Amino acid sequence: MNYFPDEVIEHVFDFVVSHKDRNSISLVCKSWYKIERCSRKEVFIGNCYAINPERLIGRFPCLKSLTLKGKPHFADFNLVPHEWGGFVLPWIEALARSRVGLEELRLKRMVVTDESLELLSRSFANFKSLVLVSCEGFTTDGLASIAANCRQLRELDLQENEIDDHRGQWLNCFPDSCTTLTSLNFACLKGETNVAALERLVARSPNLKSLKLNRAVPLDALARLMSCAPQLVDLGVGSYENEPDPESFAKLMTAIEKCISLRSLSGFLEVAPLCLPAFYPICQNLISLNLSYAAEIQGNHLIKLIQLCKRLQRLWILDSIGDKGLVVVADTCKELQELRVFPSDVHGEEDNNAAVTEVGLVAISAGCPKLHSILYFCKQMTNAALIAVAKNCPNFIRFRLCILEPHKPDHITSQSLDEGFGAIVQACKGLRRLSVSGLLTDQVFLYIGMYAEQLEMLSIAFAGDTDKGMLYVLNGCKKMRKLEIRDSPFGNAALLADVGRYETMRSLWMSSCEVTLGGCKRLAQNSPRLNVEIINENENNRMEQNEEDEREKVDKLYLYRTVVGTRKDAPPYVRIL
Amino acid sequence: MEKEGLGLEITELRLGLPGRDVAEKMMKKRAFTEMNMTSSGSNSDQCESGVVSSGGDVEKVNDSPAAKSQVVGWPPVCSYRRKNSCKEASTTKVGLGYVKVSMDGVPYLRKMDLGSSQGYDDLAFALDKLFGFRGIGVALKDGDNCEYVTIYEDKDGDWMLAGDVPWGMFIESCKRLRIMKRSDASGFGLQPRGVDE
Repeated sequence: MNYFPDEVIEHVFDFVVSHKDRNSISLVCKSWYKIERCSRKEVFIGNCYAINPERLIGRFPCLKSLTLKGKPHFADFNLVPHEWGGFVLPWIEALARSRVGLEELRLKRMVVTDESLELLSRSFANFKSLVLVSCEGFTTDGLASIAANCRQLRELDLQENEIDDHRGQWLNCFPDSCTTLTSLNFACLKGETNVAALERLVARSPNLKSLKLNRAVPLDALARLMSCAPQLVDLGVGSYENEPDPESFAKLMTAIEKCISLRSLSGFLEVAPLCLPAFYPICQNLISLNLSYAAEIQGNHLIKLIQLCKRLQRLWILDSIGDKGLVVVADTCKELQELRVFPSDVHGEEDNNAAVTEVGLVAISAGCPKLHSILYFCKQMTNAALIAVAKNCPNFIRFRLCILEPHKPDHITSQSLDEGFGAIVQACKGLRRLSVSGLLTDQVFLYIGMYAEQLEMLSIAFAGDTDKGMLYVLNGCKKMRKLEIRDSPFGNAALLADVGRYETMRSLWMSSCEVTLGGCKRLAQNSPRLNVEIINENENNRMEQNEEDEREKVDKLYLYRTVVGTRKDAPPYVRIL
Repeated sequence: MEKEGLGLEITELRLGLPGRDVAEKMMKKRAFTEMNMTSSGSNSDQCESGVVSSGGDVEKVNDSPAAKSQVVGWPPVCSYRRKNSCKEASTTKVGLGYVKVSMDGVPYLRKMDLGSSQGYDDLAFALDKLFGFRGIGVALKDGDNCEYVTIYEDKDGDWMLAGDVPWGMFIESCKRLRIMKRSDASGFGLQPRGVDE
């Protein structure tokens, strides 16, 4: 390999794209490390506290695209308090100072401020793409800076962020000379939208392929937008509470019929059922459909739509579709690869007979041979069903089952669901992500440790009996990267059994378990490359260090590997041991 | 391996049948959620009933559906989705129900049910209770002499001084409340009090 000049090797490396592969080739020898680092354009950082921006830039000076993730996954469920961390500003400041030619920034679960966005917009002349997922801390003023200053902007994709909508005119801030947009997603903005400015923007963006509107864009505006963007591939519609008048409806249908490139449809935050038929003409082309926010649409209307979507590969839906609806999906969508069924009734208040059960899951597994990813919220499950699913679909990569009631057993046999999940991990040899629920003993973890050889991420809640459960997983799943556990009886013995293991993982989360302060201190003692964070929001429990009781249980423990030591931006209620 | 001081008695093997520990686990959950309730109000939001507010009937295992759902962060639906798929989350429906209340100088927000107050006096009393601060009530009733002003965001997104309009109109249009220092209020862009200023 060293017979080739560096330029040739670099050219070969251009074909190596995945992060894992590039990380591997950089380990081969010093010369390859050097060539790789200087040619690397895209860097992915799964935990923003594992490294700091200075070291990142030092190693990859030619970086063009950066992906950063901040808060742990359970922050999505309000388990991580505000101000915990994940601030992007220091990263943008460092990148700006070093004159890195940043073109793309993708952030997930980070705190982004208007100041950061303003700095971003002014510091990188070639900046093209901003993707923010589940972030917070900014307002439409920040978006205005991006619109106004990023002359080469192609992509502005805001997914499920908490954005303070100042109802300003951020859409007006795109200059008339901006014609390069390919993707614009502002579905999560809650306020009014300047529809005229939006229409002008879409009209001058001939390359626009993806457009996702927010609630505030009315039906007639949608028709006009689609008319001037028939090249759209991905559309997110707004909210249409009222039945459309026949003329508006006809205009909408005409516009939709022209969008023959449309492959992906989402939005429908509140939709009067009679608006749906306008979309029937393009259903046969759809490969992705997200109706998971359409709480008002009843099962039978959903079914009528889905029956036309024969090429569907990805479906996100609410459980109001019912088992009956899932049988229709199983009969119709033979190309289905990913299914997510969300609960329409999150609080368990209504006695919802339309929700889905094990029947729907089995039907899908039997009817959709290409299914590899599933997220399924349901009221009940049985071992027999899970065993059948495992037999029908041995190709699962992601299997996330959430039975709404914690500790719920097999509703027919009243046994634990150990055998059902055991069948899943045994059959699905490529399983990389698993979430378990229902009544589970240590036995399920024995199975997981034994069979889930490719498992990288495991989510456990209200499960297990003793430390053995957690130990089976840590000892067995050699590829584990992220382990998150809540409300399960695992304690210090499991936590401390193999401290070195945690450096092979990205992170471990344990909340409402049995680990104590003493155990965590012991863990942190000889682990300079781990940050062990104790999150304790209850002020009354925070005692002086000489008064504290090491036997006290730790509310929330979050530990992660890092090469840059303790972070300096933690709030007072986070203690880093 | 040394076991002293690790508190391993907590992790001792238990040989009970599966399901036996449900009562114990429910109790732990209740204690946990009560602790959350006292420390931080910012985890709850309009749709999530994730915090138990009742005093402390910890011994009883409550099997009602409402209790089952009142565990923080369960079911694991991300908070953005909870807020946006809740039927009350529509921007056109405001007023009755819980609104966020913020107070300058207090690092966390509170939620209160406007529907449970009978009028401005009631509201003043409730706000006092919420923040444990005597002055707010005075701010509402006799604005000029107080350190604080009580303002609210209405349906149109404008910030208005509380107390001007009839109570019924107020609760129909109030989306959130803020107790703000009078000294900060001057540049804030409040709508004028009335024609006869």
